[in-house]
Amino acid sequence: MNGLRHSLTLRLALVFALLAFVSLTLLGVALYRDLERELIRRDDAALVNRIDQLRTFLNDSNALELIRTKPALFQNMLGNREALLTITSAGQTPLLVVNPGNLPLPSLAPVAMDRPLSLADVQHYPGVDGIPFAAVAATIDSGDMGSLQVLTGRLMTERTAVLASYRINVYLFASVAAVLLALSGYLLVHRGLLPVRRLARHAHGIGVGNLGERLDSHGAPRELLPMIDAFNAMLDRLGKGFVQLGQVSTDMAHELRTPINNLLGETQVALQQHRSIDAYQQLLASNVEELERLARMLDNMLFLARTDPSSALKQRQELDAADEMQRMADYFEGPAADVGIHIRAGGSGVIWAEPMLLRRALANLCANAIKYGAPHSELVIDATPCAEGIRLSVDNHGPTIPAEHLPRLFERFYRVDESRERSANSNGLGLSIVATIMQLHNGTCSASSQDGVTRFELVFPARRQGE
Amino acid sequence: MNILVVEDEPKAGNYLLNGLQELGYCVSLARDGADGLHQALEHDFDVIVLDVMMPKMDGWEVLRRLRKEADTPVLFLTARDDIADRIKGLELGADDYLIKPFSFAELVARLRTLTRRGPTREEEQLQVADLQIDVLKRRITRAGVRITLTNKEFALLHLFATHQGQVLSRSMIASRVWDMNFDSDTNVVDVAVRRLRLKIDDPFQLKLIHSVRGIGYRFDTQP
Repeated sequence: MNGLRHSLTLRLALVFALLAFVSLTLLGVALYRDLERELIRRDDAALVNRIDQLRTFLNDSNALELIRTKPALFQNMLGNREALLTITSAGQTPLLVVNPGNLPLPSLAPVAMDRPLSLADVQHYPGVDGIPFAAVAATIDSGDMGSLQVLTGRLMTERTAVLASYRINVYLFASVAAVLLALSGYLLVHRGLLPVRRLARHAHGIGVGNLGERLDSHGAPRELLPMIDAFNAMLDRLGKGFVQLGQVSTDMAHELRTPINNLLGETQVALQQHRSIDAYQQLLASNVEELERLARMLDNMLFLARTDPSSALKQRQELDAADEMQRMADYFEGPAADVGIHIRAGGSGVIWAEPMLLRRALANLCANAIKYGAPHSELVIDATPCAEGIRLSVDNHGPTIPAEHLPRLFERFYRVDESRERSANSNGLGLSIVATIMQLHNGTCSASSQDGVTRFELVFPARRQGE
Repeated sequence: MNILVVEDEPKAGNYLLNGLQELGYCVSLARDGADGLHQALEHDFDVIVLDVMMPKMDGWEVLRRLRKEADTPVLFLTARDDIADRIKGLELGADDYLIKPFSFAELVARLRTLTRRGPTREEEQLQVADLQIDVLKRRITRAGVRITLTNKEFALLHLFATHQGQVLSRSMIASRVWDMNFDSDTNVVDVAVRRLRLKIDDPFQLKLIHSVRGIGYRFDTQP
C-alpha cells in the first residue's frame, strides 16, 4: 500500500487502466443494450411477418391442402431447429406441428382475426437453458375451413450466441485497452518525470559550498518552471541568509576580541609582579566590566537568534501609549539631562505589544538618540494612532545620517562610522534588536534623517479580532 | 540561613560556596545530583541552589525526587535561555531560576526573597542614621533638612532603604525602579544614583550610598 501511495507513476498507470476499463466497458454495455434491443425487434418483426404471410397464404384452400400433404415443406421453410409452428383449427387435432426442437408449447391467447399484428403482441419467455424464447399467436381466416389458430415461435439461440460473443469482445477489448493504457501511462509518466529526477539530482548537488548555483530551467517543462523559480528564489534567500549569518559570526568574533583582549592583557600584566590589594581590586572590577559586556552581548545574540515568535506574541497586552512614552522619558531623564537634552514625551492611543519587548525597543532607540543627539537639544518621543495601528517616533537633533546608511542601520553590527571608538555600552546590536522586536510583532521600523533631525519610527499593528 | 548548593562545575561550586559563606550563610556544597538529593533529604535547608546540567542525575531528576518528600524552596540555575526550559523547572516545583551568566548580587537577592518568611509588611517610616523617609507622605528629611526628590529618585531611595546593607546590582535596580527587566546598554542607573547622591549624600558628612566596584551599589551606614 505504501508503494502505491508513494509512486506517482504506478498510481497514474493504475488510474489510467481503471479509467480505460470503466469507460470502455460502459461504452460496450451501452452499445450492447442497443444491439440487443435491435436484435429483439428484428426477431419479433420476423415472427409477426411470418404470421402475416401465413394469413395471406392460408386464405387459399390449396395451401391448406398443401399443409396436410406436405408438412415437410413447412419444416424446410422455417429452416432450422429453433423454430416452432403450429396450425390448429378450433377443437381439432393440430393440422400442422413443426417443432423439431421439441419446445414446450406456450398457451397464448390468439390475436383476433380482424386486428393487424404489432410487435407488442409478441410474448417473451425465459425459454430453455436461459435461451430466450419468443412466440406470437393469431387467428387466421382460411376461407372454407373456418378460422385457424396459428402459433409461431422461435428460440433465440443465434441471438444469444451473437450477444454472448459481443459481451466477451467488449470485456476483452476493455481489458486489453486498459493494459495498454496502463503501460503507456506508466511509460509516459516515467518519461514525463525525467526532468524532475534531473532537477532532484541537481538539487542534491547543491550544498553549503556552492549555494550560488541555481537549478537549470532550460528544457524543463512549463509546469515545472514555477517550482524551479520558487526553488531558486529560496536558494537566493538561503544564500543571502547564509552570507549574513557568516558575517554576523565574523562580526561577533571581532566584537568578542576587544573584551577578551582586555581581560587577558590586563590580568596578565597584573600578575607580572606583586601589587597592592587596591590594584587587584581595580583589576577585578575592570574584569567584571568586561565580563558584563560579554554577558550582555551574549544575551543580545541569543535574543536575536531566538526564532520562535509565538511566545512573544502570546504575551501581548494593550498598553497605554502615553504611559509608555512617559516611562521612557522618566527612565532616560538622568542621562539626557547630563548632556543637556530635554525629553518631551507625548502621544495617545493604545499599543498592542509585549511590554518588555516594546520597552526594550524604545529604550534602544532613546539610548541612541541621546548618544548621538546634539547637546542642549530636544528629544521628542511621540505616539500617534494610524491606519495600521500606532506609530511611535523618536526624533533627535544631531548630525544628519547620510542616506546610504539608512537602510542598513538595522543590520547587526552595522556602524555608520567604522572608526568611531566602540564604547563599552554599545555593541552594534541595539538597532538590530529593535528590528527583530518589530518583526516579532509583525510591525515595521524605519529611519529617516535630514536637516539635522533624525527620526526613527516604529509601527505596531493594531490588535485584530480574535487576538 | 542554611543553603545547599548543588553544582558539579568545580569553579562555580567553589565561588558559590565561598561567596555565600562570606555573607555569613551556612552553606553545604554537593558536587553531583545524587549527593545533592541525599543531603537535601537528610538535612533541613532553608533554600537549595540547583544546577540543572549535571551528569548522571540532572537537576530535573533531583527536583522531581525532592518534591516527593520536601518543599524546600529551590532556585535552579540554567545555561539555556529557553522558555520551555524555565517553564519545565517551575512546573516541576522550582521556586525561581537564574540564567547563566548571572550576577552574584542577583543570586543573593533572589535567595533572600525566597527565604523571607511570611508576608512583608510595607514600612510606613524608614530611618537610616539621620535620614528619615515617610513613605506615605513621600517626605524625606536628613538631619532635619527637607529634601525634595523626583518620583524615580524617591523610588530608588526607597529601594535602597528597604535593602539596607545589601549589594544591589544595576539590573536589579533598573528592574525595580523603572520596570525595565533587561540589561540595557545605558548608564541610566549610574546617572540616577549620582543624582540621588547629590541630594542626600553630598551635603552631609556620613555617606550612605556606596559603590561596590564591579557589582553595583550598597546602602549602608557602614562604609
